[in-house]
Amino acid sequence: MNENHRFCTGRMIVNLNRFRLFLAVAACKIAIWGSKLLGKKGSSMPGQLALKIYPGVLRDLAAQVKREIIVVCGTNGKTTTNNLLYSFLASRGYSVVCNKVGANMLYGVCCAFAADASVFGKLDADFACMEVDEASCVKVFAHMKPNKMILTNLFRDQLDRYGEIDITVDYLKRALALVPDTELILNGDDPLVAQFGENTKRKCYYMGVDEDVGVSLNETKEGRFCVMCGERLEYEYYHYSQLGKFHCPSCGFARRALDFRVSGVSLCDGLEFQLEYQGHIVPFDVHYRGFYNIYNIVLSYAAAVLAAGEIPDYAGVLARYQPQIGRMEEFQIGKKIVLNLSKNPAGFNQAISTVGKDERPKDILIAINDNAQDGKDISWIWDVDFERMNGIGVRNFIVSGIRADDLALRMKYAGIEQERMTKAYGLKEAAQALASGGGEIGYALVNYTAVFRMQDILKELEKEAENLE
Amino acid sequence: MSEAICLTIGHLFPDLLNLYGDRGNLLALKNRLIWRGMEAEVVEITKDDPVELAKMDIVFLGGGSDREQRLVCERLRTMRQDFRSYVDEDGVLAAVCGGYQLLGSYYQLGEEKIPGLELLDIYTKTGEGRLIGNVVLESNFTGKKEMVVGFENHGGRTFTGEYEPFGSVICGYGNNAEDHKEGVLYRNVLGTYLHGPLLPKNPTIADELLRRALARKYGRAIALEPLDDTLEQEAHDYAVKRFSQK
Ligand SMILES: [Zn+2]
Repeated sequence: MNENHRFCTGRMIVNLNRFRLFLAVAACKIAIWGSKLLGKKGSSMPGQLALKIYPGVLRDLAAQVKREIIVVCGTNGKTTTNNLLYSFLASRGYSVVCNKVGANMLYGVCCAFAADASVFGKLDADFACMEVDEASCVKVFAHMKPNKMILTNLFRDQLDRYGEIDITVDYLKRALALVPDTELILNGDDPLVAQFGENTKRKCYYMGVDEDVGVSLNETKEGRFCVMCGERLEYEYYHYSQLGKFHCPSCGFARRALDFRVSGVSLCDGLEFQLEYQGHIVPFDVHYRGFYNIYNIVLSYAAAVLAAGEIPDYAGVLARYQPQIGRMEEFQIGKKIVLNLSKNPAGFNQAISTVGKDERPKDILIAINDNAQDGKDISWIWDVDFERMNGIGVRNFIVSGIRADDLALRMKYAGIEQERMTKAYGLKEAAQALASGGGEIGYALVNYTAVFRMQDILKELEKEAENLE
Repeated sequence: MSEAICLTIGHLFPDLLNLYGDRGNLLALKNRLIWRGMEAEVVEITKDDPVELAKMDIVFLGGGSDREQRLVCERLRTMRQDFRSYVDEDGVLAAVCGGYQLLGSYYQLGEEKIPGLELLDIYTKTGEGRLIGNVVLESNFTGKKEMVVGFENHGGRTFTGEYEPFGSVICGYGNNAEDHKEGVLYRNVLGTYLHGPLLPKNPTIADELLRRALARKYGRAIALEPLDDTLEQEAHDYAVKRFSQK
């Protein structure tokens, strides 16, 4: 009788949880629908609501993923990498859950699962690929254990939210301690990332660019001291920031042998390179700009082939892939205007590098906001090599955004003559100045909260220009 | 023909203590001399280079993470006597954030006690949470009341005792979020938590450091011609206006 009683209670709990799961998923779906009606993008409320109704909602939904859960982490390139991974897996006919819009904290991850589940809490998914904010990993991994995790890079970003980069490393260490079986796919060129493969029994794969591509800049370096012993790292060559072929002369920490090895890189027109792994040699030829995209492409490709085997249509996936909002996104407003999200020194220096490779006379717009999502501290603009914008054929510089005054002063120090500089506080006014500048092409490099507004403005101006024709 | 007026500016450990755009401060000191037809030599001293403080007219010690600060700490301790003499002989020393903390007796970091340079009788200890945000100060550093703008981001709380502060806090946390003081002044030493482009945006502070270094080197007051500081003033005034009215 006692046995029987316990059995009954157990079944009641199971049924109760099933009911709460149903309630949580249903509430989340209604909330998503509601916030869509209100025109809100990426609200965290639906996920929060679901977890409040049933704290086990994410755990129960994630447990239904048939094959693998793959998480993407890192300062720059998370969204691109995760969305490419989604596209690679989907091209094989798998059903994949993905937080495509980049809502990458606990509530956003939870919401992505609930949105794909049936209202009864049933999830039909072969894979889940989720980008997760570095600081949120600890919370997310308490609910779901990823099979694999991609780490793209670790740069200084949004300092006033996280303190310093060591704090980010610490968050990741604590998160990984929760999931000892998770395999890592690491950017082996980044010592701050590669450290997660040291002194661990877990399976780790390293990806890197195995030749000197000659893209390195004289930029402010972060993390160039050995994370193991504190000695100065030595480099055979740099790619950018702290990325390159490094080794520590004191303790022997060094870039590991590359499981996914990139070589033969050409940046002339788009990106061309070849990838060697596990006895395969695969050529890549894509229309994206920016050296850093090699990491996004290869890390996502590596995760896809490790999880699902060959991806026959990888080239088609890459050709069809629509870059995220403001990732070198193009508009026609009398001339070509290219919009790029740049939100930290590494991102800006890479963008300036890409712009510098364009030999046409050009106009450049830079906009910096300091809203909470951007990071309130804009001191890092002094770590960007704006000096390198001299001598690359720039006709007009437009500075804009909430901190246009700070940018203008920074540009003065970068040697940009005041006659070539326009301060436009409003983004629209700035976009118009960019379109009417004297160059053949215009580049708008803007940070996070400015990018959404700027995209709307450029679309609007594009439409107006079409109507005039 | 008279010899050109020139200052030597030593940037200590830019490879380690170089957070939050410290570069801007060096650029401001250098350019504000050059724009006036004077000369500046910026010497970047890395952790392994020999340092001759006696040859410097201005020394800049920047900020670093706790990990990096531990690394430079030992190196700095070997230079303690040199620092002492430099400061006693009225050498100009600007120390920001992590560098500021290292001027004192120690930095109590949880269980760990990082010894400082002991140049000033001040100390730092960690507190609950980091003190982060925009700052506006009222400072007398230049001899008259002026607003100073900047940004702070520090876990340590610094207690400066009887020393004169760099400024009193109008907006922000300051040294320890308790006594409304920010930074410290002693002879020609300026210690502050205001990191990043402090000097570009507060040109009068930059000029005051230059004025003191020039007077020390040449034994007489050397006039600094006014510059076109329109952009500087706009960036400064924007911050004062936005952050001091809360
Ligand atoms: Zn080492």
